[in-house]
Amino acid sequence: MLSDMSDPTGEFFDQLGRRGHERLLAQVSGVMRFDLDHEGRTDHWILAITKGDVSVSREERHADCVVRADRVLFDRITSGEVNALAAWLRNQLTCDGDLLLLRFLTKVFPGPPDAHDPRPAARFPRGRR
Amino acid sequence: MTERVRILDGNTFVVSDERGDMEVSPTFPAGFFSYDTRFLSTWRLTVNGERLQSLSVDNLQYFEARFFLVPGEPTHYVDAKVSVIRKQEIGRSLEEQLSIFNHTGKPVDLTIRLDVGSDFADIFEIKNVRKHKAGKRYAVVEDGRLRLGYERDTFRRETLISSTAPAQIDEDGLTFSVRIEPHGTWQTSLHVEALGGRGREIRTSLQGQRGRPRPEVRRDQDEWLSRTPRLECDYEPLAMTYRRSLVDLAALRYTPLISGGRTMPAAGLPWFMTLFGRDSIFTSLQALPFTPELAATTLRLLGSMQGSKLDDFREEEPGKIMHELRLGESAAFEEQPHSPYYGSVDSTPLFLILLDEYERWTGDGALVRQSEDFARAALGWIDEYGDLMGNGYVWYKRRNEATGLVNQCWKDSWDSISYRDGRLPDFPRATCEVQGYAYDAKLRAARLARNFWDDPALADRLEREAENLKHRFNRDFWIEDGQYYALALDTEGEPVDALSSNIGHLLWSGIVEDSRAEQVATHLVGPRLFSGWGVRTLAEGDERYNPVGYHVGTVWPFDNSLIALGLRRYGFKEEAAHIAHGIIDAAQYFQGRLPEAFGGYDRELTQYPVEYPTACSPQAWSSGATLLLLRTMLGMEPHGEHLLVDPAVPEEIGRIELLDIPGRWGVADAFGRGRY
Repeated sequence: MLSDMSDPTGEFFDQLGRRGHERLLAQVSGVMRFDLDHEGRTDHWILAITKGDVSVSREERHADCVVRADRVLFDRITSGEVNALAAWLRNQLTCDGDLLLLRFLTKVFPGPPDAHDPRPAARFPRGRR
Repeated sequence: MTERVRILDGNTFVVSDERGDMEVSPTFPAGFFSYDTRFLSTWRLTVNGERLQSLSVDNLQYFEARFFLVPGEPTHYVDAKVSVIRKQEIGRSLEEQLSIFNHTGKPVDLTIRLDVGSDFADIFEIKNVRKHKAGKRYAVVEDGRLRLGYERDTFRRETLISSTAPAQIDEDGLTFSVRIEPHGTWQTSLHVEALGGRGREIRTSLQGQRGRPRPEVRRDQDEWLSRTPRLECDYEPLAMTYRRSLVDLAALRYTPLISGGRTMPAAGLPWFMTLFGRDSIFTSLQALPFTPELAATTLRLLGSMQGSKLDDFREEEPGKIMHELRLGESAAFEEQPHSPYYGSVDSTPLFLILLDEYERWTGDGALVRQSEDFARAALGWIDEYGDLMGNGYVWYKRRNEATGLVNQCWKDSWDSISYRDGRLPDFPRATCEVQGYAYDAKLRAARLARNFWDDPALADRLEREAENLKHRFNRDFWIEDGQYYALALDTEGEPVDALSSNIGHLLWSGIVEDSRAEQVATHLVGPRLFSGWGVRTLAEGDERYNPVGYHVGTVWPFDNSLIALGLRRYGFKEEAAHIAHGIIDAAQYFQGRLPEAFGGYDRELTQYPVEYPTACSPQAWSSGATLLLLRTMLGMEPHGEHLLVDPAVPEEIGRIELLDIPGRWGVADAFGRGRY
C-alpha cells in the first residue's frame, strides 16, 4: 500500500525528467499530456520525447497523445501495482492520439513489485541441491 | 455438421451457418466478433415463423458472402413461392442486405423476423467454457434501433443494430410486417456496429481518435494481390493452392492499433485473429519473397511490444519478444495474461532471424539500424533469462502457474514433449529446435553487427558463442542408438528421446553437423515420420503417437515447409521436393486452403488427408507454407544484390514460373522444370 505522503506519479516524472534521456523511448518522438483527475481538479503533466531525449513540464499545451486517468490509479501504475495496458483495456485509462507513445511509455513504468527473477528458482529448486 | 461460412476483415469476423444465421454452438464459435469479443451470438431469420433452407452459398470473396434461401425445412420439396437472398459484408461493421422475392402473381403478406442477441463472450470464454459473466447485460430499444450492451465496472461493449426499412423492434430482435406485390421484391439493409468502452466504434474507442481512413476492402485486396508475384504452372493443385494462399493471407492481414495503418499477419481464424509473436514471424518469413512488407510491420510491431521488465503473470522479461496480445474482457480484468503475454521461448531468437532474413531479401538496412536496440535486447535475453539453467541453452518453465502455457515452444499443447516411452519430462525443458534458432540468431546477428551496427567485436563474440553452442548441442542432444537429435533436454541434462519433426527445424537452422545431416534426412522421409503427405509431428512407434493428436502425430503444413527448406540447405533436393509435393497434393483436398494440421494417417490407408477437428482455417502459417514450398522448390536465395535460383521441382509438378519477385534486385523471375 502507498502511504499518504508518497507521490509515485510526481517521482516518476521527476526521475524521468532528471535522466533527460530514456533509452526505451529512443524509437519515438512526440508530446504526451497526462490529465490526472484528483479531488475534483485535473493535474497536468507534459512529457516531450525526441528520440529518447525527454523533458517534463506542467503547463498545458498541444499534445500528440492525451492520457486521462484518475490520479490514484496513475499512482498505482507508476509504482508498478497496476498494469497500464490492462487499465487501458478496462477503459480506466484512456488515450486520445498516438497510441504508440503510450505503448513505449509503458515500457518505462516499473513492473509489479513482487515479480521474481525466474533464474534462481529454476537453477536451485526446493528439494534439490 | 452444418457448413460454416466465414467472412473477415482483420480481427473483425463473422462465422455463420449456410443460411447466414448465427447461433451459439458448444463446439464452434459462431457469431460476429471484433477485438476478441463476440458482439452477436444470435442472428436468426424466419419468414412467417419458418426457418430457411440454403440452396447455395457464394463465399468467393473473404469479406462477403451471399446466401440463396427458401423458407421451409430442407426435407421439403422446393416449390418456393418466395425466396430470399442475404448478402453479408464485413468492413469495420457488419452489413446485411436482405432481399425477399415474391415469385407469384398475387401479393403476399409476410412476417419477417430477425432474432438478435449477444452474450458478449470473450474469445477465451468460448474456448474454455465458463459459467457466469461478472458484468451485466442489457438491451435497449431506441429510436429505430436496438442497443445490446454489456457493462463491467468501466468496461463496456455494445452492439448497435439498425435497419433501413421500418421495423418493430423489441429487446430480442426486429420484426417486419410487409406486403410484397406480385413478382415484387422487398429489401432492407441491416447495419450492425461494434462499440467499445467509450460508446464509439470499438477501434476508435480504443484509439481515442478515428484511425486513418481505411481503403475499401475490395480495392485494398486487389491492390495487395497485384503486387505479389505471378505464378505460371501446369499443375493445377499448385496453381489453385497458390491463389488461395495469397487471398487467405490478404484476408488474415491485421492492422494493429499502433502500426500507423500498416498490416501484418494475424495467426488464424477463428481462434487466433490477433497478434502472435511466433506465428506472425513465421508467416512473415514464409512470405518474404512474395510480400516483404509484412515482415517490416511485424518487426516494428514486435519491437515496440518487446518486454522491458519482470512480470510473473505475463511472464515478461527484459528483451523478450511477446507471444500473444488480446484486447477483450479476460485480458482487461487480468483473468488471462494477454496484455500482452510473453510465454514463448522461441519468438525472441526468431525475431532476430526475421530481421536478418528481411534485410537479405529487401536490402532495407534502415530498418536494421533502427532495430539495433531491440536486437541487442533480444540477444541479451537469449543469454540471460532464456538461459534459465545457466548452462548455455535456452529453457522454459512457466511462472504463471494458473493461466500460463505449460509448453512454450511451437508445440504448445500439454503432452507435446515426451520421452519415447511416453513419460513427460520435468521443467525447465530445453527443446532442440529452440537451440537451433538461438544458434542461427547469433550468426545472423553477427552479420548485422558487422555490416550495420559497426560492432565487429560483438560479431566476433556471437560467432564464437554460436560455434560453441553447435559443438555442445551435437554432443548433448545426439541419440547414438537412434541416430537422431533428441526432442529436448530434461533438467538433468538427459535427452528426451522421442523422434519428432523438430529435427527438421535443426536443418533449417544449420546447427546439424554435416556428417549427421544424412541420418536426419533419412528419418524425416522415412516411414516412422513421413505419412505420404508430410512429416508427422511425432514418429509412429513412440508411445504418445496419435495420428489425430494435436502435436503428437498430425502433419502441420507450416512445420513441413520449414523442414523442406532445411533439407535444401543441406543439399537434399529430392527429399525436399518429395515433401513439397506431398503437402501440395494434400492441399487440393482442402480446395487449396491448407488447414493448421491434418491427420498423420498413412496416405496409403486413408487416400485423403483427414482434417484435424478443431483446426483453424484459414491459418496464416499454413497459407504461408505454400509460399515457402514454392521458394524451396525453386531454390530461391538472395545472394548479394541478386536472386539465385536453383530449382528442384518434383517431376509431377512440371514447369514452374514465378514472375516479378520483389526484392533488393527490383523484380526478378524464377523458372524451374520438374526433374525430381
